[in-house]
Amino acid sequence: MSLQGILLLDVIGLILIGLIINLVRTRKLHPAFAVIWLLALVGMIIIVSIPQLLFFVTHIVGAIYPASALTLLAFVLVFGMLIFFSMQISILSARQVEMAQKTALTDLQRQENNKNTKSQDEPIV
Amino acid sequence: MHPRVLIVIPAYNEENSIAAVIEGLRQAAPAYDRLVINDGAKDGTGKILSQMGEKQLLLPCNLGYGHALQTGLKYGLQHGYDIIVSFDADGQHRPEDVIMIVTALLENDVDVVIGSRYYRGEFYDSPLDRRVGQILFSKLTRLLIGQRIYDTTSGFKALRAAACEVIVSGIFMDFHTESLVRLSMAGFKIKEQLITVNERRHGRSMHSFVSIFTYPLQTLLLTVVAMVDALLNRRKP
Repeated sequence: MSLQGILLLDVIGLILIGLIINLVRTRKLHPAFAVIWLLALVGMIIIVSIPQLLFFVTHIVGAIYPASALTLLAFVLVFGMLIFFSMQISILSARQVEMAQKTALTDLQRQENNKNTKSQDEPIV
Repeated sequence: MHPRVLIVIPAYNEENSIAAVIEGLRQAAPAYDRLVINDGAKDGTGKILSQMGEKQLLLPCNLGYGHALQTGLKYGLQHGYDIIVSFDADGQHRPEDVIMIVTALLENDVDVVIGSRYYRGEFYDSPLDRRVGQILFSKLTRLLIGQRIYDTTSGFKALRAAACEVIVSGIFMDFHTESLVRLSMAGFKIKEQLITVNERRHGRSMHSFVSIFTYPLQTLLLTVVAMVDALLNRRKP
């Protein structure tokens, strides 16, 4: 990969790191998710910046061009992140269902208790 | 001693049918308690129930049929009911069949009775896609648990509390094939009872065009999960 290409990818990586830090700062991104993205970006910058490492990775994944190896790595990362986020959404959805059910059950229980208390307070004629 | 029976009726936008369903149940099964699960209905369902003085459990948002039913089962278990009957709010089920289905549960000494539209090849005119799915899942249950269940998607069921506990604690979608497989593999006995189903006059089916494709796949996946769960639990000492 040319020096120009390495610099371009490094700059893009650094900009994205800055963006993620800002999203965390403005409370638009949860630190737990930010850490995953930051690790991925730092990993990408390290692989791109050290030519020997990039060639090693290219060789390992069986690609001919380093750019192809990077694309494959990016694809694997994005796929993994999608599964991770699907999992997180499922967990949140299950928690939401549980909370809604608990709220409804508690509300009904309170209504029934109030009704019982009222009927006990009523004088027997 | 008579068992305590609770009829759970999940309802979402059923303002056209809910009053008749409740009135029918009041007349046909006055000894049984009822609980309508108002699944975040946006129409007048809740208002009608309030006017009728009917007990309703109001979910803060629409959770879908399966989770609405699950909430009713949780309520039934919390309040010590012996038998819980699930009953649709769209007017398709006949209230007079409730007694029959509970009697079938008690007399046959089983844990689950399914009010079946297709029992032993009985004809019920349903859309082709649903009929095909029904046949496939019916054959799948025979393959997996050795018992053919003709109507796996029936919303009219009677269950003993012990059976409710098993399915409430598991992954819950709609209480269809996946739950039946889970129950059967846990040793619960299931029986089908032929019922007559009225044609749906009001409201819409909960199945959309997309769900025609996704629903069977989800059910299949959950059935596999139920089987794996059962096998893993069986291995535990």
